[in-house]
Amino acid sequence: MSDTPSVRMENASFSYPGGKAGVFDITLDIAPGELIVCIGPSGCGKTTLLKLIAGFLPCTAGRVRLGGEDVTGASVRARQCGIVFQSYALFPHMSVWENVAYPLRVRDIALVERRRRAEAMLDMVGLGGYGERLPAALSGGQQQRVALARALVFKPRALLLDEPLSALDAATRITMRDEVRRIQKQQNIASLLITHDQDEALSLADRIAVLRDGRLVQVAPPQELYDRPADAFVASFVGRANLIDGTVAAPDAVDTPLGRIATPAHSLPVGAAVRLLVRPEKIQPAAAPDGENVFAATVLHDRFFGASREIELAVGQGMLKIDTTTREVIAHVHVPRQAVQFLPTH
Amino acid sequence: MIPRWVTAAYLVYLASPIALLFIGSFGDLWLNTLLPTGTTVKWYLEVAADPSFRRAFTASLFVAVMTSIACVAIGLPLAYAVFRAHDPRVRAAARVLYQLPVALPALVLAFGFILVFSSDTLPWLGSIWLLIAGHIVLGLPYFLQTVVADMQRLGLRTLEDAAESLGSTAPQRFFHIVLPALRHSVLSGLIIVAALSIGEFQFSNLVCGFLNRTYPVVLLQAFYGATGFACAATVILLMLALTASVTGSISARGAARFSAAGGKR
Repeated sequence: MSDTPSVRMENASFSYPGGKAGVFDITLDIAPGELIVCIGPSGCGKTTLLKLIAGFLPCTAGRVRLGGEDVTGASVRARQCGIVFQSYALFPHMSVWENVAYPLRVRDIALVERRRRAEAMLDMVGLGGYGERLPAALSGGQQQRVALARALVFKPRALLLDEPLSALDAATRITMRDEVRRIQKQQNIASLLITHDQDEALSLADRIAVLRDGRLVQVAPPQELYDRPADAFVASFVGRANLIDGTVAAPDAVDTPLGRIATPAHSLPVGAAVRLLVRPEKIQPAAAPDGENVFAATVLHDRFFGASREIELAVGQGMLKIDTTTREVIAHVHVPRQAVQFLPTH
Repeated sequence: MIPRWVTAAYLVYLASPIALLFIGSFGDLWLNTLLPTGTTVKWYLEVAADPSFRRAFTASLFVAVMTSIACVAIGLPLAYAVFRAHDPRVRAAARVLYQLPVALPALVLAFGFILVFSSDTLPWLGSIWLLIAGHIVLGLPYFLQTVVADMQRLGLRTLEDAAESLGSTAPQRFFHIVLPALRHSVLSGLIIVAALSIGEFQFSNLVCGFLNRTYPVVLLQAFYGATGFACAATVILLMLALTASVTGSISARGAARFSAAGGKR
């Protein structure tokens, strides 16, 4: 039954009393071994979504299945999800190995066996030899590894990570990001990671689920999400984006504040309002002032990052952001026709 | 350095009455002189031999122990309830309510007790159990404050959520997580309550002084007798309270070190 998703949410909803934001009509599958990163602005319902799977909140509508079994009404304990909390939530009075062995202790596994399994799990997360220490004696990254070991030691049905890296400093965060991925792949467990960091989402995820105001806007692999965002919100939330409003002028051109932009062929009627997306790195400085989609530009802001520059340009009556590696003075830019995408207008 | 002088002056001011008590308790004779003359331990022996002091000492210990036990039995569930209350307004209201006795003079509480318990329906004035009840009212706020603060610092709620997700039952969570994680703050809260109960005078004197006298109540009467005797009796009380507060601060420091990085991130 390897095609049975480990986690399945079917039209799951939760609304807080008093009409405060919840999540609505969430349908989402997580395959065995798959890592889904749920991303969205703060207050969009990411943590609520995780709590619905973990069982800390009850669905007000819809169902939750784990490994094919309907757990909609089941307790947190019965659901057997491994959870990693943002604050680690290690038990301060237990040593590292006792923390990791705790799920085995409440499952009445013999002391020798649970010690052995805890030590093996600690080796796996790279903390062999740390078993006797107290959590307070470890660094943030090490504590997060302990939390990960503890959440995995009892072979949970799913791994849920609630902003696991946001309490770490920048350097440790990058290391731990790779570690989370390595461990998750090695354990081959269905996982949901909550974050508000788009770099984390793009670099970690098998698929990214974008949540906005409690609704899933798009669920797609990172490249697809970046290349073909479902709407302007996704386009600007994941990666940087030029969003250009305009009206259709011809079957392959749109009039915009920047001027007339040649686009891939489309079937929209002339005069229709459209929104275009062009990623900043697709636009390049042009040597000559003429050619298709070449526009005269004036530099407004120029931010130098070593390998590349982020430049904001005034073009016609509008503005363009570009990412470029050139160090030359920019007077004209070229927007390749194939880089122009149509987004649905709301 | 002005701050250093101020600190030194304050320390002298703080320590001199205690130093004088010490000197007085070992002094043979102290009449119309700046310091007493001669050295003796007879005052301590006299206090130890005095039946009313012995009785009061036992009574005080009994009251302190009973008050402590009751504070844990009432305070721990209460602290937990306040901490776990869903509505933040309920939490804030509860905090104000349980802190109220701190602002309430023991005198006012005592008058209230006298009004209620001198009636024919509730004729319990003078009973040692009534004294214990009063000390619970006076001590509980400090116990609750200590324990609730520790629950928040530890992030007890998340610890319990974690334990639940890891497969523990509610009783397991209480005995494996809640109690052990709180043991230091419960202990230090208890010591505050015990020290408070041992040294409490106003309420004990008014509500119980005529029937069951506690140590501080008997102590007051000692000052009508020999100075050395009164000093020795006071030093004994001081030692009791000091032991309590030193043990308290040590265990509180232990608690802080122990949960420094483990509870919070």
